[in-house]
Amino acid sequence: LNGKINHRRKWDIGKLIYMDNISPKDCIQRWKGEDASDEAAESDIEEEEAEDNFFQKRDQNNDKTHNYEGDLEKFVPYFETIEKLVQKFSNLDAIKDRFLGAPSLGDDQN
Amino acid sequence: MSSRGSYVVFSGSQNFRLRLVLATLSGKAIKIEKIRSNELNPGLKDHEVSFLRLLESVTNGSAIEISYTGTTVIYRPGIIVGGSVTHNCPNGKPVGYFVEPMLYLAPFSKKKFSIIFRGCTASHDDAGLEAIKWGMMPVMEKFGVRECALHTLKRGSPPLGGGEVHLVVDSLIAQPLTMHELERPTISSIRGVAYSTRVSPSMVNRMIDAAKVVLKKVGCEVNITADVWRGENSGKSPGWGITLVAETKKGWCYFAEKIGDAGDVPEDIGNVVAYHLLEEISKSAAVSRDQLPLALVYMVIGKEDIGRLRITSNQIDEKLINLLRDIKSIFGTEVFLKPVDYDNTDDFIATIKGVGFTNTSKKIA
Repeated sequence: LNGKINHRRKWDIGKLIYMDNISPKDCIQRWKGEDASDEAAESDIEEEEAEDNFFQKRDQNNDKTHNYEGDLEKFVPYFETIEKLVQKFSNLDAIKDRFLGAPSLGDDQN
Repeated sequence: MSSRGSYVVFSGSQNFRLRLVLATLSGKAIKIEKIRSNELNPGLKDHEVSFLRLLESVTNGSAIEISYTGTTVIYRPGIIVGGSVTHNCPNGKPVGYFVEPMLYLAPFSKKKFSIIFRGCTASHDDAGLEAIKWGMMPVMEKFGVRECALHTLKRGSPPLGGGEVHLVVDSLIAQPLTMHELERPTISSIRGVAYSTRVSPSMVNRMIDAAKVVLKKVGCEVNITADVWRGENSGKSPGWGITLVAETKKGWCYFAEKIGDAGDVPEDIGNVVAYHLLEEISKSAAVSRDQLPLALVYMVIGKEDIGRLRITSNQIDEKLINLLRDIKSIFGTEVFLKPVDYDNTDDFIATIKGVGFTNTSKKIA
């Protein structure tokens, strides 16, 4: 039951960002409701927060070694694989309103 | 200044350049600990030391202490003076790695920035020349930095490099303008540059054609320039790449870029970059993800006034959280995210109160 309540809880991203005891990766996951990675950690938030001072070291080490995505030293942002992108933009409806002059004619032809 | 307690302490090698830049802007001393302390080659890398040297040469009165093992750095910033400097970049990192952080500092300098960078001009992870010229400088322009340019004197592809670029920032301003951008600007045209050094010019045309095929669907004007470098000025290694920029009438822009490796097919690269550009557009509101740090930092050091910038929910990622946390630990400023309620997107308005930073050298002059 506890788990379900937490699952439904809507996190405020504005607050999550500045909760230093939660790693950025967790922030994003909680905010988007993707807690698949560790259900246990999600359901025991109280406990986790108490333990966080203890775990902080481990998190930072993780950040350094294999969590390269959160590092601004890398300039180029993360992209999905090209296959997924081709699929996503097989039609341009999602970004059609971003361009001047609707490309409707081109779409019909395709 | 009495020591010990007065540092802002960071841990780890991440956001290395950003932390030093923020420290320089704020005038606060920082200490970065545990730089790769658990790795096989602990401590600072060549390019990071080189960046510290560059920082030292464009400031006056900076003090940098590096521990014996190189895992701890203490940096006490001086004032930004700029001037004419030549910087030789190690071949591990391209000039973009060094130019990009300079964009944060250059407008707030005492003298104009005129820096010649020598080394590689492209890589997979760092900003390319066109990314800076057509992607980052328009953002600076929106914040009131109008006269800045990056001149490509020689291109130099990795691994051997041999390129040379000249960064000139002529506008010196007291603080960036306060930003109010609540809309998603409309894209009016797409342009781009495909370059090659020491390879057949047909590579360039093949990239351009592949990119145009993808971008034909969007139905706006597409204009990609071929930029073929030959002879003395084309560096020591063969290389090629493409940068695409989607431009808006308002002056904002979105961009994507990629360089080719040995064995890559030019058509693939052109194709991938075109799709990356579409993806970047779909994830952006006013600025794209790679422009966001620059825009937010300029907003933080703005006037003591509320600046607003529209961002999308896709832009809230780990990088952004790390950035905002670092900004908070140095400037003490928090960004307030307000959901947009007047249209059916899940965008946010990032609201930031500037810290009222003034260019120290302006005050004296």
